[in-house]
Amino acid sequence: MDFLQPSTMAEALAAKAEHPGAVPIAGGTDVMVEMNFDKHRPPALLDVTRVSELTEWGMDDGRVRLGAGVSYTRIIDELGDRLPGLAMASRTVGSPQIRNRGTVGGNLGAASPAGDAHPALLAADAEIELQSTAGTRVVKAHEFYLGVKRNAARRDELITAIVLTPPSGPQQFCKIGTRNAMVISVAAFGLALHPDRRVVRTGIGSVAPTPRRAYAAEEFLAAELESAGLWESRAELPTALAREFGEKVKAAGAPIDDVRGTAAYRLHSLAVMARRAVTWAWTDYRTARGT
Amino acid sequence: MTAITTRAVGSSPTRIEGTAKVTGAARYSTEQDHLGDVAYLWPVPATIAKGRVEAVDSDAVAGLPGVLAVLTPDNAPRLETPDDAELAVLQDHEVSYRGQFVAAVVATSLETAREAAASLHITYAEVPHDSELTENHPKLSKPEKVNPAFPTDTEDGDVDAALAAAAVTVDATYRTPPVHNNPMEPHASLAVWLGHELTLYDSLQGAFAAQQALAKLFALPPASVHVINEHVGGGFGSKGTVRLGAVLAAMAAREVGRPVKVVLGRQHMFTVVGYRTPTIQRVRLGADADGQLTAIEHAAIEQTSTVLEFAEQTTVATRIMYAAGSRRTSHRLAALDVPTPRWMRAPGECPGMFALESAMDELAVATGVDPVEIRIRNEPDVEPESGKPFSSRNLVACLREGAERFGWAARDPRPGVRRDGRWLVGTGVAASTYPSYVGPSTASAAAEPGGGFVVRISAADIGTGARTVLTQIAADALRVRVEEVRVEIGDSSFGQAALAGGSMGTASWGWAVTRAGERLRAALDEHGGDGRLEVHVDTAEEVKARTGFAYHAFGAQYAEARVDLDTGEVRVPRLLGVFGVGRIVNPRTARSQLIGGMTMGLSMALHEEGVLDPAFGDYVNHDFAGYHVAAAADVADIDAVWVDEQDEHVNPLGVKGIGEIGIVGTAAAVANAVFHATGVRVRDLPIRLDKLLGGLPG
Repeated sequence: MDFLQPSTMAEALAAKAEHPGAVPIAGGTDVMVEMNFDKHRPPALLDVTRVSELTEWGMDDGRVRLGAGVSYTRIIDELGDRLPGLAMASRTVGSPQIRNRGTVGGNLGAASPAGDAHPALLAADAEIELQSTAGTRVVKAHEFYLGVKRNAARRDELITAIVLTPPSGPQQFCKIGTRNAMVISVAAFGLALHPDRRVVRTGIGSVAPTPRRAYAAEEFLAAELESAGLWESRAELPTALAREFGEKVKAAGAPIDDVRGTAAYRLHSLAVMARRAVTWAWTDYRTARGT
Repeated sequence: MTAITTRAVGSSPTRIEGTAKVTGAARYSTEQDHLGDVAYLWPVPATIAKGRVEAVDSDAVAGLPGVLAVLTPDNAPRLETPDDAELAVLQDHEVSYRGQFVAAVVATSLETAREAAASLHITYAEVPHDSELTENHPKLSKPEKVNPAFPTDTEDGDVDAALAAAAVTVDATYRTPPVHNNPMEPHASLAVWLGHELTLYDSLQGAFAAQQALAKLFALPPASVHVINEHVGGGFGSKGTVRLGAVLAAMAAREVGRPVKVVLGRQHMFTVVGYRTPTIQRVRLGADADGQLTAIEHAAIEQTSTVLEFAEQTTVATRIMYAAGSRRTSHRLAALDVPTPRWMRAPGECPGMFALESAMDELAVATGVDPVEIRIRNEPDVEPESGKPFSSRNLVACLREGAERFGWAARDPRPGVRRDGRWLVGTGVAASTYPSYVGPSTASAAAEPGGGFVVRISAADIGTGARTVLTQIAADALRVRVEEVRVEIGDSSFGQAALAGGSMGTASWGWAVTRAGERLRAALDEHGGDGRLEVHVDTAEEVKARTGFAYHAFGAQYAEARVDLDTGEVRVPRLLGVFGVGRIVNPRTARSQLIGGMTMGLSMALHEEGVLDPAFGDYVNHDFAGYHVAAAADVADIDAVWVDEQDEHVNPLGVKGIGEIGIVGTAAAVANAVFHATGVRVRDLPIRLDKLLGGLPG
């Protein structure tokens, strides 16, 4: 197995072009586990940790450009205010050691339906930046996940950054696992309210072959908030509305039974998480000023 | 040398080898850098659950650079017939369970060995397998005895008549899943031959027994086998006896003419080192309206492999726990096409007491008697099975002390009625017990020429603090300060000694160390300190003379459970164990042992479950990614305390084992607390979220 170790973005892209089968490795928290279990034996590993553009984040025209190799720990420490939903999800990843190593780029590369970052990225309308020697393109999060552990990156492309707009409203993330930490999710839910655009966004994890949005639930809630004038009045969210939202989020799931939980449990917990998340988010919205 | 009167036993020195361990200076079994040119062995697990190895095509890998040998059932050196049939590795072509080792590759690097092992082509003749334990399995039969030598069935009085006449009865079936013991350090063996002398560095709970087993297997005089287990990174029963990694290492080292290391992979450990058998247990209790038991029946169904009969003593604790006019216990065993279950921390008592103590809680609910009180009401005067007096029994004191500390008095018995926001809150109690075994041991003590003393015993410190407590015991026997004593352990050449198993280490080794220290002190007092004295002792006669009493430790486990009303998530914010375990030699290491056991019991209650795929006959979640144990975040306020217990009959030190009792009863306490919180009785572990959902109050 070849081990490629570029030190600049140009070298990294050239290496990926030359070795399209090479698997990029950053923190190794997923790639090394898969290799250790002999699930994959890639022809080459492409170490992207020396490419400084990947491990930086910055503001670009009012948006956050998050390098794909920024660790979860840094997202929590440095971006909790700008990317609250992603930071909440990051806090639930593995253990401190895993959060020190693991990256959102790795989560996207693996594209597991259980990846913790995905629901938050979907809810935040994140965009995934892909680069190759041929150029740069941007894929919206909801178009990025193609199948179980398959994503929209071409074989010659590297996932280089995630671009997110700091939120105009509250964000929430919930996750249920079979223990209290270091746990792969049984089900996960991300929510963002976007008062500036009057839209609602969701992301659901571990309940379908891919992370996905609950479109019908989003449209339902946005329409209800609009028609009742709740965006302006900031009145209390009707309990029945939160419950109905939960049921509609649940309807977007298509889970399986596995050793972590039953399909029925996953759907049930999805409805509970969605109901709770929207209640918390709306409370945040009502009490927030100037948003 | 200064004769002193203050006692080291009862004080809390930190682990003697602690600094060496945390700085990496301590050398574990395969870390013997001085040996130089070492080869590596990687085993090949069978990919069928039952059948025969038809052919191993090793030609393709035998020529790979670095490959030194390929061991197969066709070419592996012949061994003498072992007592433990699992050790007859590569001795025939039979495949008795998926994952059984059917070949091995030895190479100059671990990577080469592993790669060659993965590419070895093996042809099997597969036959249908039967790997699933069921209540009415046709292969269920009555074993001759249960581990280690208990009667399979017992009966006293007319259980059926008592049940028929009882005012209140409980009849319930409890299930525990296969659970796996996984010490952080895997089984690791390093074998070196010098002529016809074998030295094995291994991660074992007992060097002497391993020496005996290997000598027999390789047809050597025991003196020609030297086993060293200076540091062991956890065992939990899975390293209780020599395991097949050691046999492969010894076999391969002789074949390739250089030292060979075998370090099992985590996934191997779910198959080849033993696990806790799944159980199906029916408990029937009969009582009068006040909860006084008149009948106890406990019938267990469990599994073993076709290689080795391991019949776990699931119901033996029921024989000694409670007074009842009639009692019946039984064990039935099915030999299936599965890996061999073996010892795992408190084999028998742990799953058995989950069933009995859950049933006692159900009886408390059925009679309306408080769960603490109902146990006190059924306290026996003598051991129910034998009629012998207990050397000491403080279950009642533990229950009362625990109730006081836990704040049990104000408990509302109604289930499912306490809420804290969306959390349902409840508390539960369960009793625990474990036998106070002791095994004969030898030890030596010598005054060193430069001052100070050395005590040698073939004990094993598997992370328990054994080395430290033996140093305390030796210092007291010699009447010197602990700094003047060096205790050497982990070496079969120090002579016969008990295993670090059955919670008998401190009792057995401490006995021998005490005698050695006392004898050396007497000799020194008699002859003066000329600095060249050495004494040897053997406690066999004294240990054999220990009769007349029933020897057990007891305890009470208290748990608080909080269950999310909407999701069924369970949290255990408080766990308290109160134990009557004789004299505590070192409160620091004792507490660590007890809360470690309790944590493992919590893990059993909520997380651990080997999931069998009947189609393949193997456990699908065979690593820490899929097999969940409790994480630090699952353990909140946990504490273990002990009541003052002076037992002059149990052994000269008055100690009872503490390595296992902590896990006994914990799962029942948690399940009982979950019932109290929710009204949902979970009788099959673990308590998964989805088992609670349907029954939660609205």
